[in-house]
Amino acid sequence: MAKARALDKRRKSIKNIRKITRTMELVSTAQFRRAMDRAVAADSYTKRMVHLVSDLAKTGLDVSHPLLEERSEPKNATMLVLTANRGMCGGYNSSILRLALQRYQELNDLIPNINIDVSGKRGISYMKYRKIDIDQSFDQFDHKPAFDEINEMAQRYLDAYLAGEIDRLEVAYCKFISMSKQYPVVETLLPMTEMKSDADDDSSKPGGEKTNVEYEFLPSPQSILEEVVPNAFKVKLFKCFLDAAVSEQIARMIAMKSATENADSMITTLTSTYNRARQSQITNEMLEVISGANALN
Amino acid sequence: MNETLKTNNIGRITQVIGSTFDAEFSNENLPAIYNAVKIDSEKNGIIIHLTGEVQQHLGGGRVRCVALGSTDGLVRGMDCLDTGAPVSVPVGNETLGRVFNLLGEPIDKKGPVEAKEYRPIHQDAPMVSDLSTNTEIFETGIKVIDLLTPFVRGGKAGLFGGAGLGKTVILQELIARIASAHGGASVFAGVGERTREGNDLWREMKEAKIGNTGRSVIDQTTMVFGQMNEPPGARLRVALSALTMAEYFRDNLGTDVLLFIDNIFRFSQAGSEVSALLGRMPSAVGYQPTLASEMGALQERIASTSRGAITSVQAVYVPADDPTDPAPATAFGQLDAFVYLERAISEKGIYPAVDPLASSSRVLDPQYVGERHYNCARTVQQTLQRYRELQDIIAILGVDELSEEDKLVVHRARRMERFLSQPFLVAEVFLGKPGQITPLADTIRSFEEISAGKWDHLPEQAFMYVGSVEQAAEQAEKMEAEAKMK
Repeated sequence: MAKARALDKRRKSIKNIRKITRTMELVSTAQFRRAMDRAVAADSYTKRMVHLVSDLAKTGLDVSHPLLEERSEPKNATMLVLTANRGMCGGYNSSILRLALQRYQELNDLIPNINIDVSGKRGISYMKYRKIDIDQSFDQFDHKPAFDEINEMAQRYLDAYLAGEIDRLEVAYCKFISMSKQYPVVETLLPMTEMKSDADDDSSKPGGEKTNVEYEFLPSPQSILEEVVPNAFKVKLFKCFLDAAVSEQIARMIAMKSATENADSMITTLTSTYNRARQSQITNEMLEVISGANALN
Repeated sequence: MNETLKTNNIGRITQVIGSTFDAEFSNENLPAIYNAVKIDSEKNGIIIHLTGEVQQHLGGGRVRCVALGSTDGLVRGMDCLDTGAPVSVPVGNETLGRVFNLLGEPIDKKGPVEAKEYRPIHQDAPMVSDLSTNTEIFETGIKVIDLLTPFVRGGKAGLFGGAGLGKTVILQELIARIASAHGGASVFAGVGERTREGNDLWREMKEAKIGNTGRSVIDQTTMVFGQMNEPPGARLRVALSALTMAEYFRDNLGTDVLLFIDNIFRFSQAGSEVSALLGRMPSAVGYQPTLASEMGALQERIASTSRGAITSVQAVYVPADDPTDPAPATAFGQLDAFVYLERAISEKGIYPAVDPLASSSRVLDPQYVGERHYNCARTVQQTLQRYRELQDIIAILGVDELSEEDKLVVHRARRMERFLSQPFLVAEVFLGKPGQITPLADTIRSFEEISAGKWDHLPEQAFMYVGSVEQAAEQAEKMEAEAKMK
C-alpha cells in the first residue's frame, strides 16, 4: 500500500497547486484587461506628446532645451529597472534583469558612476543576491501605477538632471506592443534624444500623419518648450510603468495557463499510475489468499 | 563420478510432478537430505541421465527430490541410485580456465577435468571467529561507484535494477576492470540469465589479457553456468556449485578470490518455482516461505576469513522496478555496497544508470573513506536531493520561479548528474569513446570543484561520458569548435 498511498499524496498536492495556478490565471486575466485599457488609453496621448516635441525641435527655430541635448562627457548615470513585485510570471523578471545587467556592464565602460534604481520586490531581491548596490528602491507600484506617484518620481529625476547630478537616465522595462508581443528593452529617457529620433521614424513613414505643420508660438517657442518637454518626459516614464504592468499580467497569465496545463497532465499520469498500483496490489493480495487456500487443500 | 559411488542403494521412482519427483527406497536405506540420487535409464528409446537432490522425507520410505536437469521422459518405476553424498564439484587450480555446469561437468568441450579433489556443494558458513574484520576500500575506477557506493575488499556488492538497465553490462565492466588487474582466481556464476551472454563473456575473457603477463583472463577464471534454459533445480543449485569452487580457493589455497554472480534473483526465483511443487505454502507475493533462509545460507558462505577473502559482486534483478519486492529486499540486507539502477536515469541516456540517492554503502563513513571523501559524497547527494525535490515545481511552474539559490542548485545538480556517467571499457564499440578508468583522487577532486562552482560555465552536454572534469573542459572546447564549423 505504501507506493499507492505516496502516489495519492503527491497527486493531492499537485491538485492543490493546480487550484492556485488556475486562480492566478483568472485573476491576472482580469487585471490584464484593466491594465491594457489604461496602457492603450495613454498610448495615443504619449505618441502625440512625442510628436509635438519632435515637431517643435524641427521647426528650425533657434531654440534648445537642456533635456534635449546630449551631454558630451557623462559622469553619472541612473538606470531604473522595472520588475514585478511578485513571481509566478514565467521569465518576465529574469529576462528584464538579464537585459538590464547586460546594459549595465556596457554602460560601465562608458560612464564611471552608475546608480541603479529598482522597482519591484523581485528585482530588489535579485540585486541583493547578486550583491549589486541599489540606490533607490520602490515596491508600491503594482498592476495599477498611479500617475501622481510617478509624476513625483519623474520630477526628482528631472531636478537631478537639470542640477547636473545625473547625466543620463535609462529605464529597463518590458515594452508592450500587443497582446502577443512584449519584449524587454532598455530605453534612454534622459536626455530625450531618442524621443527625437523616434518621432523622426514615425514621420518618415509613408501615409503617416502630416507633420510639417506650421506652428505659431505665443508667447515664445522657448516658453512652450519649457512647458512641453518636461511633461513629455513624465508621460513617457508613466507609459513605461503602464507597459510594464500590462506585460507583467500577460506574462503571468501565460505562465499560469501553462502551469495549469502541466499540472493537469501530471495529474493524469499520476492518476493512471496510482490506479495501476492500486489494482496490482489488489490482484496480488487476492493471489496470495487464493494460492494460500489452494496450498492448504 | 560413477566409479566413486559409495553405495549401492537403489530405489524406484513413484511420482513425477514437473521438476520434482518422488522415489521409494527401503526404510533402512533412506538417502539423507541433500543427497544426490542418479537416474541412468532408458525407456522407449529415450535415454535419461538425471541427477536429483533429496529435499523431503515423506514417510513410508518415500523421498521427494528436486531434479537438477530436465525430467522429460522420466517415467514411474525407473530405478534411481542414491550416491550417498550431495552433488560434488571439482575444485582447485585444475578448474581454472574451464566452464562447468552445476554438476561440475565441463561443458567447454576441452575434455575431462583432472581434479584432485571434489567437494559437496552444501557447506556450512565460516565460523564467526574465523571472519576477517579489516575493511579496505576496493577501487573500481568507476566514478559513481567509487564516490557514492565504495566497494569493500572481501565484501559483497549488489547491482540492483529492473529489466534492461545494464546490470550485466556493469558486471562485465567490473570483470574487465578488476579481473584483468587481479592476481588471484575469479569465479563467475551464470544463474538463470541468457545463455548468449555467458557465451559472449567466455569469448571476451579468452581474448582479454591480465595486465602485461600475456595470459588470458580466462586462465585465472572458473565459470559455472545454469542459464535460463535449465530447469529450476539447476538454477537453484548452480550458485552453490560456483561458490564451492570459490571457497576452496579461499580456504585451501588462501588466495583472494573474486566471485561474480549474475543473477542472484534467479536463485530465489528458481526456489519459488520448486517450492510449490514440494508442497510448501507460498508466502508474500507467492515466494517460498523459506526465501530468507535460502538466501541467508548462500550469502553467509560468501565471506572473507582470516585465510583468504572472497570479494563478490552480484547482479540482482528487481521485478517491476519495485525494490520492496521480497526477493531483492532479502538480498539487500546481505550486502556491503548497494548499487541501485534507476529507469528514470537510463531514460535520460546516462549510463551507468546508478541512482545516486538510493544507492549506498556500508563504508561510506568518514571512519573508512576519510572526511574529505565523505563530505564530497554528501554534498553531491544533498545537491541532487534538492534538485529532485524541486523537480515537481520545475515541471509545473518552470525554472524561472525558483529562487536564485535554488537555480544555482539546479544548475550544478544537472551537471553532476551528467558527470556521473562514464564511458565503459566494454561499451567502447557503442560509444565510440575509449573507456575511462578514473582514479578515486581525481573523482573526489572533480566533484569538489563542480560543487564549488568552478565549472559552472561549461555546457551540460560537456559533462556526459568523460573521466575527470578536465576532460569535460576539453569536450566543451571540442563542442564549441564543432559548433563554429557549422
